[in-house]
Formats: sequence, structure tokens, C-alpha cells
Amino acid sequence: MARPNERVEPILHNRLAVLRAERGLSRQELADALGVNYQTIGYLERGEYNPSLELALRTAEHFGLPVEAIFSRRPFAPMSAQLYGSAPEAKAG
Amino acid sequence: MTGNPTRSVGRRIDRLSHLRQRTRRLIVVATLVGLPAAYLWSSYWLTTSTPTILWGPVTFLLFGATLVGAFLLYGFVRRRADLPGVGLDERERQLRDRAWILAYQVLSAVVVGAIVVAGLQVFVFGNEITLDADAVNGLVLSVAVLLPLLPGAALAWIEPDAIEEA
Repeated sequence: MARPNERVEPILHNRLAVLRAERGLSRQELADALGVNYQTIGYLERGEYNPSLELALRTAEHFGLPVEAIFSRRPFAPMSAQLYGSAPEAKAG
Repeated sequence: MTGNPTRSVGRRIDRLSHLRQRTRRLIVVATLVGLPAAYLWSSYWLTTSTPTILWGPVTFLLFGATLVGAFLLYGFVRRRADLPGVGLDERERQLRDRAWILAYQVLSAVVVGAIVVAGLQVFVFGNEITLDADAVNGLVLSVAVLLPLLPGAALAWIEPDAIEEA
């Protein structure tokens, strides 16, 4: 049996920090917009908390993006790789 | 000039809400152990020739640990361990529920442990357990004070370190 302070659910990757920086929002501003505590935004960004479906949809609605553009079960590819088709380390080598 | 006292209290409360997990865990242990330890110390003191002058400061220190600890825990947890948890978001509610589960597990372990120890004393070692008025008084007061603190203490125990606002 899992202990109450043990993490049982798998990590859900997200782009919240990037999107927040892109829009120039503080954690508090995003938290206010989503109706959660700013700490919750911090834990979401650090991957230490997985949002409910309702919060994930609310977040997607707030950013005007599909939910899969913000949350994913697999790690997101780096922005550079998506824009230019190669990862930064590939260019460095 | 001493500054605005309301702002100063606000700053202190804010500092409490950012206590590190390690510090919080020390406070939880001190709070939960202080009061029962004070009663145990008093019982022990009655049966030995420990100087009377020692009894007061040690008892005061142990009672103080529970009193100050309870105040600090309340400052950290505030109403986040309460039911039904009005104003909490989904993560805070989830954390609160986990804290209640942990509190229940700790309480169950303490009750079962006490029964096992009492059973061993009576049935295996053949000792008698006598509960005089002082022992019952200590037991009831410890339970009455510590039981309501348990969910908050559990929340302070499990909550990860706060994330700075940015």
C-alpha cells in the first residue's frame, strides 16, 4: 500500500513555465486566472502535481490552446527541435 | 519608531507559511511529544529523588514545546487542514485528504501499539497496570490536546517546501 506522502501517479509533463514566460505572467497572475493557489502553479511547473482534468481543460482554455499542447504523458521536445527540426546538442556537435 | 504592528504580524505569519519541511517536522515531533513527555517526567519525578528545583523548568519546557509547537503549526497550516476546506484548490484538498489519512494511520498505530504493550505487560510479563487519577488525567488531557492537532501536524509533515512566487 502506498504511504500518504508517497507519489503514486506517473509524472505528467507540461509547458506551463514556457507559456507563462511567453505571456509575461507571474505565478500569482496565472493562479488568479485559474482560481488556484500560486503554489499549485509552482508544483505543476515542477511536475510535482498532476492537475485534474477540469484544471487541465481550464488551463488550456485560458491559454487558448488544445490541452495536449500544454500537458503530455511524454516529455515535450525542445522548442528549438520543434522549430528547426534538430536538437541543440546535435548542432553543437 | 517601531513600524506598523499589523504589518509586522503579517510578515511573521508569512514567514511561518514558508517554514522548511525539515523545520516543520521537528516542530511536529516537539509538539506531539512535549505534553505526554511532561506527564511521564512528572510521574518519574515522583518516584525518584530528583531535586524539586529541576521539576519546574523541565515540565515548563516540555509543556512549552507543545504550546509553542501548536501555535507554530497553526500559523503554518491555518485552516488548510479543516473540513470541508472552503477556499482550498484541488491540490490543497488532495494534500489535506492525505494528511487526514496519515493522521488516522498514526492514531491507529498508537492505539494498537498501546494495546499490544499493555497486553504484553499483563499477559506475558505478569505485571499489573494500575491507572490512578493522575495517569488518567494525563492521558485524557494529552488525547484532548493532541488529537485535534493531528491532521494539521500531518499536513505540516507531508507538505513539500513552498515555491517562491515568481
